[in-house]
Formats: sequence, structure tokens, C-alpha cells
Amino acid sequence: MSDRINRKIEIPSDISHIKKVSNEIVKGLKQVGIVETLQFDIRLVVEEAVRNAIEHGNCYDKDLPVKILYSIDRSKCVIEIEDQGKGFDVTRVPDPRKQENLVKAGGRGVFLIRKLMDRVEYNEIGNKVKITKYFK
Amino acid sequence: MQIKVEDKSGIKVCYAEGDIDINSSPQVKKAFDKIIQTKSGKVLINLEKVGYIDSSGLATLVEILKNVKGFGGKLKLCNLSSKVRSLFEITKLEKLFDIKDTETDAIGTF
Repeated sequence: MSDRINRKIEIPSDISHIKKVSNEIVKGLKQVGIVETLQFDIRLVVEEAVRNAIEHGNCYDKDLPVKILYSIDRSKCVIEIEDQGKGFDVTRVPDPRKQENLVKAGGRGVFLIRKLMDRVEYNEIGNKVKITKYFK
Repeated sequence: MQIKVEDKSGIKVCYAEGDIDINSSPQVKKAFDKIIQTKSGKVLINLEKVGYIDSSGLATLVEILKNVKGFGGKLKLCNLSSKVRSLFEITKLEKLFDIKDTETDAIGTF
């Protein structure tokens, strides 16, 4: 098993490329020996964050890249996802658990990212998110 | 993603297999639109062979629930894996959906 993985990925803003990113990161998690339940959570969070970058950040403009930088070791996984958009105010995302939002179709991606990871940090303009999951 | 439908005691039991995510959600929605068109009042989705759901998948299931309820029908879910079930718990969608542990439990409570 590898001790540490550091890689960069760049994809066009096309949802068909989301799996490429999550597959590569999950492969890295397996190499380091991370359990399946955590692989599930990190896969989900990566796919949600990359999708948000494509959809809300780059507005599906295939000429605009989504940049992903990640590192995995036995103690933690850190992933940065950056789009070329104007960013958003994460504090304005409604809580999908509220009764009035439960029946709404969307709005759970950002919530799941925050709930499943240990640290979620956005840059000032909100076009780059850094997510961290600790394993120990 | 595959969805097979069986009629059991007047209930449309739908067996989903594969991931329900951003790629497969349109296909899932389309399949259930067809099932719902039959105006079957009782729909059960067996998720035993669904190992992964993302927020698009959850949104699709919410849409299906709204459509079934829209004509006065009932929808239940059963056989969720522990990880899939945990997503319903985290998002509080367990309050919106009638979730049963097994298909037998679900069929017995329609």
C-alpha cells in the first residue's frame, strides 16, 4: 500500500467527467487502505462538489476547467476543488432539513458536503472549496 | 441502472439495481413516470441492490414521491443499505418517506 498520494486533476465542465474524478480518488483511498464506508462518503462529497463547480460555478461552459488537487495518507484526505465562477455565499444555502424544504427536489449537495466531512473551507469569493476528512 | 417491476398483491414492487446518481437519475425518473402513468395506487421501491445514491438521486426519489402522492397513491421504500439509509437520516428525508426494513414489512403495511 502507498503511504501518501498527491495529485492534480483538471476536467472540462461536463458532468460526464465527474466519475473520472471520484473514481481516481476512490482508487487512491483503496491504495491507502481506507474502509469502504469512508470511501462512500468521500466519493459522494467529491461528486457533489465537482457537480456544483460545473453547474453553479462554471455554468456548464466546457471551455472552463474545474481544478482538483488532492492528497491522501493514512491520517486524512484533503481535496480542493476550484471553478472559474464568481463564487457563492455558502451561508445563504437553505437548510434542506427544514420542513418547508424537505419536499424540494434540490439543495442537499452543499449540506451533505458539510455534514459528511470534518472540515469544509471556502475561499473568500466562494469559488474554491477545501474539504478534509480525518481517518484517525 | 435497471428497474424491474413486479405486481404483488396489487402493489407495484420496483426493484432498482445500480447507482441512483446524476448520470442515472433521468433514466430513473423516466422509468417511474411510466409506472406512475398506470395510476397504481401502491408503489414499493426495493433498494436492496442500490449501493449508492447522491443528492440527484435523493431529489429524484422526492419527485417520484410527490408524483405518486399527487394522484392519491402511496409510496414506500425498503431494503436500504446502511449507507443509503444514513443519507435519508442525515437529510431528514426519513420523515418524508415511509421506509421499511424488508419487502415483507412494506407489503404488509400498505
